[in-house]
Order: sequence, then C-alpha cells, then structure tokens
Amino acid sequence: MSMETEINFTLNGRPVSVRVPVTMKTLTMLREVLGLTGTKYACGEGECGACTIKVDGRTLNSCLMHAVDCDGREVVTIEGLKTPEGMNPMQKSFVEHGAVQCGFCMPGMIMQADYLAENNPNLTREEAQRGLEGNLCRCTGYTKVLDAVESAVEKKCCGRC
Amino acid sequence: MKETTTYLAPRSLNEAVEAMAAGDVTVFCGGTDLTPQTDSGVKQYGTKLMNIRRIEGLSGVADNGDTIRIGAATTVTDVRHNPLIAKAAPILAEAAERFASDQIRNAASVGGNICNASPAGDMINPLLVLDAAVELASWADGTVQTRSVPLEQFFVGPRKSVKKPEELLTAVVFKKPASDFVGKFRKSGPRPALEISTVSVGIGGNLSNGVFRNVRVAMGSVAPTPLRARNVEAALEGRPLNADSISAAVAAAAIDAKPIDDVRASAWYREHLVKVFTEEVLSHVHGN
Amino acid sequence: MDQKVTASNIEKTSLIGQRVKKPDAPDKATGKTRYINDMVLPQMLIGKVLFAGRPHAQIVSIDTSAAEKLPGVHAVLTGKDATGLKFGFVRDNVALKDKVRCEHDEIAAVAAETEEIALRAIDLIKVEYEDLPGVFTPEDGAKEDAPLIHDNFPGNKSLHFEFKHGDVAEAEAASDFIVDNVFRPHHVTHCCMGTSCAIADFDNNGKLTIWTQTQYPYNYKMDLAPALGLQPGDIRVIQPPIGGAFGSKLDVYPYEPIAALLARKTGRPVKVIYSREEEFKASPTRQPAIIHMRTGCTRDGTLTFRTADVLLDNGAYTSWGPTIPVIMMRTVSGHYRVPAVDFKAQAIYTNNPYAGSFRGYGNVQTTYATAQQMDMLADMVDMDPLEFHLKNSQRSGEITPQKSFLRECALVECLETAAEASDYSRKRKAYALERDQPGRYKKGIGLASSIHNAGGAKIHKSDGIGTILKVDDYARVTVITGASEIGQGIDAVITLIVSEELGVPLEHVTIVNNDSDIAPWDVGVHASRTTFIAGNGVRRAAQKAKAQILKAAEKQLGEPAETLELRGGSVVRDLCGTPLIKLDRLLRQMHFQAEPELVMVTDYYEPKSEPEGAKHISDHSAAYSHAVHIAEITVDTLTGEIKVDKITSAQDVGRVINRMGLEAQIEGGIAIGLGYALSENMLLEKGLLKNPCFRDYKLITAPEMPPLDLHFIESNCAEGPYGAKGVSELPTIVIAPAIANALYNATGVRIFNPPLSPEKVARAICEHRQRGK
Repeated sequence: MSMETEINFTLNGRPVSVRVPVTMKTLTMLREVLGLTGTKYACGEGECGACTIKVDGRTLNSCLMHAVDCDGREVVTIEGLKTPEGMNPMQKSFVEHGAVQCGFCMPGMIMQADYLAENNPNLTREEAQRGLEGNLCRCTGYTKVLDAVESAVEKKCCGRC
Repeated sequence: MKETTTYLAPRSLNEAVEAMAAGDVTVFCGGTDLTPQTDSGVKQYGTKLMNIRRIEGLSGVADNGDTIRIGAATTVTDVRHNPLIAKAAPILAEAAERFASDQIRNAASVGGNICNASPAGDMINPLLVLDAAVELASWADGTVQTRSVPLEQFFVGPRKSVKKPEELLTAVVFKKPASDFVGKFRKSGPRPALEISTVSVGIGGNLSNGVFRNVRVAMGSVAPTPLRARNVEAALEGRPLNADSISAAVAAAAIDAKPIDDVRASAWYREHLVKVFTEEVLSHVHGN
Repeated sequence: MDQKVTASNIEKTSLIGQRVKKPDAPDKATGKTRYINDMVLPQMLIGKVLFAGRPHAQIVSIDTSAAEKLPGVHAVLTGKDATGLKFGFVRDNVALKDKVRCEHDEIAAVAAETEEIALRAIDLIKVEYEDLPGVFTPEDGAKEDAPLIHDNFPGNKSLHFEFKHGDVAEAEAASDFIVDNVFRPHHVTHCCMGTSCAIADFDNNGKLTIWTQTQYPYNYKMDLAPALGLQPGDIRVIQPPIGGAFGSKLDVYPYEPIAALLARKTGRPVKVIYSREEEFKASPTRQPAIIHMRTGCTRDGTLTFRTADVLLDNGAYTSWGPTIPVIMMRTVSGHYRVPAVDFKAQAIYTNNPYAGSFRGYGNVQTTYATAQQMDMLADMVDMDPLEFHLKNSQRSGEITPQKSFLRECALVECLETAAEASDYSRKRKAYALERDQPGRYKKGIGLASSIHNAGGAKIHKSDGIGTILKVDDYARVTVITGASEIGQGIDAVITLIVSEELGVPLEHVTIVNNDSDIAPWDVGVHASRTTFIAGNGVRRAAQKAKAQILKAAEKQLGEPAETLELRGGSVVRDLCGTPLIKLDRLLRQMHFQAEPELVMVTDYYEPKSEPEGAKHISDHSAAYSHAVHIAEITVDTLTGEIKVDKITSAQDVGRVINRMGLEAQIEGGIAIGLGYALSENMLLEKGLLKNPCFRDYKLITAPEMPPLDLHFIESNCAEGPYGAKGVSELPTIVIAPAIANALYNATGVRIFNPPLSPEKVARAICEHRQRGK
C-alpha cells in the first residue's frame, strides 16, 4: 500500500506526466499504467534482464527501479528504439540473424545490446558476451544473439545512424 | 502492512538527514537490493520513502590528496570505469568488474552495497583490504553531524551494521595506497559475474624487497559478516612472501573462515575455496 | 545393409536449405508482440492461488470469510469447489486440493479486481493443517511402511514399464567386461522466460474460451474437460504468443482449470499468472530417476547386453514425467546394437514436485547413463571410444529390438564427422597422458551420441495433422494448420514450404494456427515432430493447390500442366522459366469464369508409424535420428569449475529445410543441455524447493556459452518433407554425457549424479586424489 505521487519524465522522446504509487516499480508503471508491454517481467529481481530499459543513457533493470525515480529523467524502452523508418539497426540485425525464437527475453536483450554497441563502437564478441551476462535467454543459446550484435557493430550500426 | 505515505527526493544532505531524524524513513538509491527484499517481505517499507540519488555531492569519486572519497550514491559502473580507482586502487575496480551484471552495476550504489551488509557484498571485500572507513551523517542540534566508522567495525551481523536508522551513509574513504601496494580480488563461480559470491578473498599490502607489510586480508561469504582474516594477516605480516609464508597463510585461512552450509555451497567447499583462493591470490601477488 | 548416404538422391529445390527469417521476429524485436502475459480483457479479474507450502498434510479447516469480505474480491474457491473434478492420465490430480501432497498444492484461489487485492485476500485465508510424515525419495516411497500419498495407489506405485529382448543371462556369461553403475539424474525445470499464464472466460451458453500457453491444443481440450466437468467440445483454445515451452505446456496444470473455475464463478474473464517464484515451485520439472544400468561387451569391443532397472520419483501427481520410460527403453535397447536387453521402470509417488515432459523426454536421463557406459567399456577394452562406437553402430536398414526401423541411419557419418572435425582421437590420447601430471588446469575431450525419434512418436491414436490451404484472388496464401508456433520457428518452415511449392514470396503467406475452433487437428508440438509432420502436411496441401492451379493454367494457356511450374509469382514454362501468366491474374480468371473455382484445399497427413502399443514393440516413429557431440573442456581441478571450450556437433537432420531455424534449434538445445550438465539443480529439502529464483538456480549465461561447430548430416529421409527429420531434442540429450566423458578424460573422475557443479567436481577430484595416495 502506498500513496500516489505525480512524476514527470521523458518517455521515448515524449514528455509524460503520470501518478504512481510511491513504492511501484518502473516495470509495473510501464506495463500497467502506461500500457507499454514490450518491457517484460520474467524474474522481478534483476537476474534475467527481460525488463531492461535505458535511463539517462544507461541500461538498468526496470523491475528493481522505483517508478518515482524516473522523475525528471529520460527513459527509453524497446518501443522507443524503433525509428520512424522502422526497426533500428540492432533490431534488424536480430531479425536477420535468427536471434529471436520465443522472443520473450528479446526486448531486454536488444536494449542491452544496443546500449553496448552505442557505447563501444569496436565492441568485440567477447565484450558483447560479457555485456549480455545479465540477460537470460532459454531458447537461443546466445549464439545467434552474438552473431546479430557482432554484425550490427561491424556495420557501424550504433542504433543512432 | 503499513502505508508508505511520503516520497522524499531531497537535493541536499541537510534536507535528507533532517527528514531521517523524524524516523521511519526507508532510503534507496539504485534499489537493486531494496526491491527484491521488500518484494519478498524480508524488509518492510517505512511510512516515508527517500530517494538519495539527487542529493548534491553524494555521488562521484574524489581525489582528496592522501585519500580517495567515494560518494555513497556512486554507481558500481562509475567505480569500474574510474581512472583514479584504476590507478590507485585497482583491486576495487577488479571487484566492480565482477559485480552482478551491467544493468545492476549501472543502478547499484557503493553505499547501498555497504549498507546492505551482506557477507557476500562484492564492494565490501576490496574496501576492507583498503582499510576504508565510512562516513555516517545525522541531524543533531539543527545541523549535520558526521562520524567516521572503520569499515571493519561497521558490520555486526548478517544485514546488520552499527549505522543507526537515522544515519545516512554518505561516503566511503580510504587512504591512497603507497606505490608498493599490491592487491588482488578473487571471487568464485564459473560465471565472470552475475553470481552471488560463494566465497571471495581479497588480499593487499605493501610488498617491498620481497617482504609483505601492512597486510590486510578480507573474506566474503565465510562468516555472518564480511571478515578481516586476522590469522592470515598474522601469518604474512612482516614476512617474506614465499612458499612457506603462503602455505602458513593457507593454513590460517581455514582458521579465519567460519563457513556454513547453504543453498550455494557446503561449508566444506567454502573452506576449500578459501584456501585455494588464498594461495592463488598470494601466488599471483608473489608472481608479479 | 551398409548403405552410404549420398547427396545425389536429394531433391533439387530452390528455397529448401536456405536461411529464412521468422515471420514473427520483427514484432518480437520491437516489443509489439502481445504475449499472453501482456493480455488484458475488459472486465478481467486477476486470479491468485494459495499454495500449501508444506509437503504432506491433512487440511483440518479453511476459513475464507475474511478474504471474501475484502472489497474487490469476487470469488474465493477451495477444494470443495473442485470435488470430483479429477484430471490427469490416472485421474490423480484436481485443481484445488482437499489434502496436501506437495509444496505447491493449490489449496484455495481468489479472483479480485487487482493483483494487489488478490494477494491480500490470499493472505487472509486461514488454513489449519495437520502435517503428515512425508516421502521424499522413491526408495523410501517403495518401503512397506511408507506413508501413503494417494489412498487408491497402494505401495505408492505409479506407472510401471518393462521390455525384454534376447537372453541376458547368456549374453552376460559371454561378456568379458561389464560395467555396473547407478546414475541419478536430477530435478531441473523448464524456466520459460514467460511465466505460466492462462485467461479463461465463459460465454452464456456455457462454452469456455481459454487463452493458454498450451503446445497441444486438441488433446488439451480432452484433458482440461474433466477438471471442469465440461465436454471437450465446449472448450475453445486460443494460443497467443508465449514465452517458451520446451515441453512444459504439454499437459494441463492446475492453474488452468483454476482460472476457468474462477471465471465460471464470477462470470468474468480471469487471468492467472505466476510470479517467477511460483513458476519455480509450481510448474513441472524434468523427471528425476535412479538408473541402475549394466552393460557388457566382449574383449573385441562388441556389446553383449544392457540392463536398466529404473526407479522414478513420480512426485505427488502423474503427468508426463513417469511416462518417460517409453523413450528411455528405446535408448536402452537401441542406442547401438545391443543383442540382449532387460529394461524395467517403476514410478513411485513421493511428496516432491512432479515432472512433466521436457525437451529430450527421458532420453536426457538414459543417455547420461548409456553414453558414459560406452566410454567406460571402451576404456576397459583399451579401445579408442570412437572405434568402439563405430564397431557397435547401426547402419541404414537395421531394426532395433523394439522394432524401430532405422531406414536412413547416419550414425557412422555423425561419429566420423564430429571426431574428425574436433581431432578427437589425438586429443583424447594426449589429454589422458596429461591427466596424472602436475598442473591445476586439465583439458579433456568427451564423445557422446544418442538416438531419438525424429518423425513423431505414435503414443496417441493419431500422430497426424490437418492442413487447410487457400489461395485468394491476390495470390496470397493462408495456411490453417494445427501446428503450433511456440517460438521454435514452424511458421518460418511453413512459409518456406509454401513459397517453394507455389512460387509466391514468403511475405505472401499467412498462417492461422492459434485457435482450436479454426485450425484442424494436430497432436501437438512434441517428440521433435512438427517440422516433419506439419512440413509434410503443408507440402501435400500446397501440392494439391498447385495441381489445381496448373490444371486451370493448362486450360487457359493451352500448354500441358506437366510442362508448367509456379515460380516468382507466375506460371512459367518449367524448362526455360518463361513467365506465361501472373498467378494472381490466373486465380482471378479461375474465380470469375463461367465455371468458377476457388483454390482451397484440405489435407490430412498421418505418418507411416505404428502405435506404441502395450508391449512397446513397434516402429513408433516415422523416422529416427542420431546426434554426436564432442565436448572439449578445461577443468580447474582446485575449484572444480568446468569451462566448456567448444562443442562439436554432428546430427542427422535428414535434410536442411530452414538453415537458420535449424541452427537455432540446435544451438538452443545445446544451451539447455549445458545448463542440465553443469549448473541447473532444483535443491529440494524434504519436498521444499530451496532455490526458487535465477540467483540460485543457474541457467547458462552468454559468457558461459562456448563456440559451437555444427555439422548437419543429410541422410535424406524418404518419409520426411524433402528428406528432413525432426531435430530439436537430440542436441539437449547428448551434451551432458559428452561433458561427463570429457571430465573423465581430463581428471579420471566420473560423476553419476548431474549437474557437474564446481563443488561436486572439486570434491570428486579431492577424493580421487586421496584414493590415488
């Protein structure tokens, strides 16, 4: 039980104003208050990465973050990675390399992969492996995920171009 | 279950500790420990929830000449990539490297990891090796009061510390190690990170002319609190670092460690690992 | 008999074997896909379950009055609301219990406006229990004085299986070497990223619509009906996208009838969704077993016999878990040429969690035993294991003791390919010489193989599939099929086959396979069967449509149908490829002519396999396949940590259909196998799960995934679509014994109770060294 408070922040490039219970998690706010169901619940304790979002340029687990902490910050979710032209290069690369099976972990996986590529234009496969250690996938064995990241990086696709 | 009625996001330390003086405040920064604990019922929210991330001056690594001061809200990622830490206290960067995952490192704060007081806290181990002290701030007589507590004396039991509920941990401070300081952190697990330490061992000291001095050894997950391994330290202090002293240190490690059986490992395996890691870390230091 | 597989008789095609993208991938990569977990219906209530949290107890009383009074609560149900509504193969389960038989037994359920209210209501339910002594191992459960778990199952006896072939006593007497070990494969669970979820809603005619994660929509109706007192025909099953299945959605589990009971009581849609902790505790496991296996061979390395006495920990209820001996015995009798076999399996009820089916179904457990004993025997006869395997390998045309007809058998090719690619024989010798030398880190290489059904398994009366295919006036194709897409990629296979047959672009194919009121029968996604069975079904349907179209083209164009083909969206001359008429134009002409016709065809495909039968002597699959894995590892002999450096895999895939999807299945299967081998373990203490979280139940993560060297052997299966065989289970089956054999090669240590966790390995090495001294 907790009181509601109003917070204002930027969500996928647009300003939003929303009332949330003060102990609500960001994941719950995104999914249940704002209807952005791309971000997934799969463990609720920061071990699986399915709920990965980007806040002020850094990825984190939205299941561990209090929604009130979004106040005044810049939040990007999987829905915000899409560009007006369609999928961003990392998303495209995941599709093209067959990295998506059931796909449930993919929003988080792609958010993290995109963040890694954005912050390291020379990201190696080994660095990507390390960088994705907080994202569990039960379907793919990560091999095609790493192929996709490697290819996106080779194409110099940081997700912004 | 009581209701959380107030959300506080103070901008200044004054504001924060004044509010804490009134009591029943739950403090969070990254939320990476608090959230699972409140979800599982291990911990209850107070009537007030305070976010300390926005407090000015609470975040960042500062070079204060002889000492390095890490603000409580500094993230593990910031520690991992900080050039000053990389140069002056690489053992801390090493531990940050093996801390949880990228997403958790990006959110988790150094202060939070200390306050959580888990015997497995990966920031704590190297800070014990660095003989760090924590700064605790509170509100008294209309002003902010601070006290410094050596980290070694901070922990009193699993998830228990000497910090009073109305105190805010604001920073952790340690002396810049001398140029002959050598240190090494070792944590168990086949994964590079994202692993609650089954056992961690950190060793540091001044090594000159082959003699090890001011030796500090820390162990994680082998006792109710993070541990300074006094017997290992005694076995090494002032002695040349060689096969004999290393083997004495390994024997002492088994005395210092008081492990238990739990879901992650048996006491046998923990004691075994403590010995293996003590030897490994010392051999590494010796080899370099 | 020794028919060498060649590529010459493979059909010439254009798209088969190419890399085709999954049609569902773009929406999944952008967060647009609405999984069942994301679904919200108007008026929907949230259902929550009160679990017993104790392993064995009588329920003395339940007081739900406080929960019922809580504002926002619409229904509270207990065991009395499900009295008599038994379900499960042996009707031993019920949605809400009147007695506690395991930790996750569902005692009460609540439907409320929000999850928060539902959880508070659950907290308000007061239950008084009288704890009973429990049974936590099958050995204890089988004891005469053991507490009885179900009154109507004396001796706690669940299912029993037997198979005998040849004269074991005689074969044993003729053996020069015999290995005799007890293997104890453990409890693991599926860990689907999307937790269990069902949404139920009744209409006012009493018909139930259930949105569910099931991977077997048709028999699901039959299995769910008794849990609700409904007719199967009154259930409509809708399958929204799901976050993984791997066998876990192949039965009805109590949360599904609970959602329906709550929906019936409230007249509103009710969604039950599990938290991760609930998922760990309440979803099915892989079947644990105690396998006492003996295998013999002669001095020249010829296998003589194999016996297996298997005790299964049934858990509290009977789902697919205790039926795995059906496959276990195929491995025991058919994994290499075994002249004499004696297989026995008995499942015993315990107060532990109960098992469902899980990718590799029984074969993961038995192959862990057979493949290690192959390695051990090779060592005893002082033979390179590769040579030992080759010596005992079946060839095409052989029939196993259970009458599995290995029409196209590529085991030899798999063995030779994997061994050559990994330089197996040389490395194995070199590492064995290093084994007893000083040094902390030891390298090892291990080989394992297995056999599995690759063309379905006729354990139901039908293993078939219905397909409806229509081509509209715009040459867009809709395939309505029973084959479910659960993430594995069948949609890509279907689009590829349609495109191959009808010459239309991949994007012009739509698939409808998520509604039991629309799509025709299929037995479900299991037994590595969907590409094989659905692939055949859709190919046959597409060929019927093609015949109809070409017949119409013959009439329109005046050229014989046999000389025409469908390519690039047109009717073309087969020989030169010259386009004659656009397909959509032809279709409209067919539709709007004097004698109008639409292209809409149906097909029912039933594979040429025999029903399993009570004696288990039948050719129960339309195809069988082999896989060989070679694991290369580095062992830290002090910490016991195993680093997998590389996996070389050679698998008989029959024929590659969608290369990308095939690789993905094998890579993912290997990852699940690695977790099983190295780190995953449900820690049960007197029936209570101690690690219901990813922190302490460790899946393989990206940095732990080794490089993979995959080889596809194309044996060209006559019955398979374009020659293909089913593939998805073998990669999971073979990996653990390959690593166990590598561990032996590296350290001289064998571990019979997986996982090969660091602690277990370290302890075994310590003990091994003590003994050595």
